[in-house]
Amino acid sequence: MRRAILLTIAATLFAAAALAQEVAPVAPETVPQAETTLVDPTVGLAEWQTIHDVFAHPRCANCHVDDDHPRWSGAHYGETRFHAFNVQRGADGSGFGNPGMRCMTCHFESNSNVLHGPPGAPSWHLAPVEMAWFGKSSAEICAQIKDPERNGGRTLSEVAEHVRDDALVAWGWAPGPGRNPAPGSAEETFAAIERWSAAGAPCPID
Amino acid sequence: MRLTVDGKQMEIDADPEMPLLWALRDLAGILGPKFGCGIAACGACTVLIDGSPVRSCVLPVGGVEGDVVTIEGLSRDGALSAVQQAWLDEQVAQCGYCQAGQIMSATALLDEIDNPTDEDIDNAMAGNLCRCGTYPKIRAAIKRAAALKLARA
Repeated sequence: MRRAILLTIAATLFAAAALAQEVAPVAPETVPQAETTLVDPTVGLAEWQTIHDVFAHPRCANCHVDDDHPRWSGAHYGETRFHAFNVQRGADGSGFGNPGMRCMTCHFESNSNVLHGPPGAPSWHLAPVEMAWFGKSSAEICAQIKDPERNGGRTLSEVAEHVRDDALVAWGWAPGPGRNPAPGSAEETFAAIERWSAAGAPCPID
Repeated sequence: MRLTVDGKQMEIDADPEMPLLWALRDLAGILGPKFGCGIAACGACTVLIDGSPVRSCVLPVGGVEGDVVTIEGLSRDGALSAVQQAWLDEQVAQCGYCQAGQIMSATALLDEIDNPTDEDIDNAMAGNLCRCGTYPKIRAAIKRAAALKLARA
């Protein structure tokens, strides 16, 4: 509810600003989050590439799936594969697994320190299905990240804060023994999103 | 640290990083939960914490929050739980090593779904491996247990 209220306020303020400047309304997914004049799109696209390298990394994308099966990947797996044990999103759609075998049956607050032991972080679960981007192109993910309908109802600033502050997201940079971490850090990715947003949040073209 | 296991409070002197399974078996003398793989990949160590199944071989004992129930705490006043009774009636076990974990996962499933379908059972039980291949009997026992629970209610 609070997010909806904030989004409503944000939308109202944006609409007022647009009217004051006599700017024609544009589709929400193309609305820039910051001043867009006099910016070099190549700067913004370079920032997006940094962000995409994180979002598309297996430590992030493997749990942003739309077919209910989290993925396993890594050098010793060969090709990316379904998580073993018939692990699924859950019949209730919650992303926390099914009765009798929840994600948190095996995934606890912190990583197992045993090689091939289960990784852990608070509230281990799949991303909501509308936030799935596993297998999508850079352009598709970029458009999705700017669309509140498909980014968890967030502004770009809120996306950046989510990346910086969420404990489960943070796991991507500290995934435990035997797993490659996502590139950079939470703070660096937060800063890249802020710069990308300030540069007009441009997206690549497929 | 203080744990409640199978309805009894106990004081455990252990490194908080020690897996719960070690604490149960080596310190508390509760040998029902079994060690299989040590990486949450077989389910033999499954216990319930506040009714939810967990793999005790990887859960640090210092991270336990809630009441622990093992296979040794399922019966009440000498009466087997519906799942335990169904397991006997269906003669599920062969070697039996994995069965404590199987029964705990089945118990958790039936706590949430009164009358599970085959799909519900597969979704709940696929993390509990049985090298003897008793899966058809496990499925039959879960359905029998569901009926028994309803009959007892």
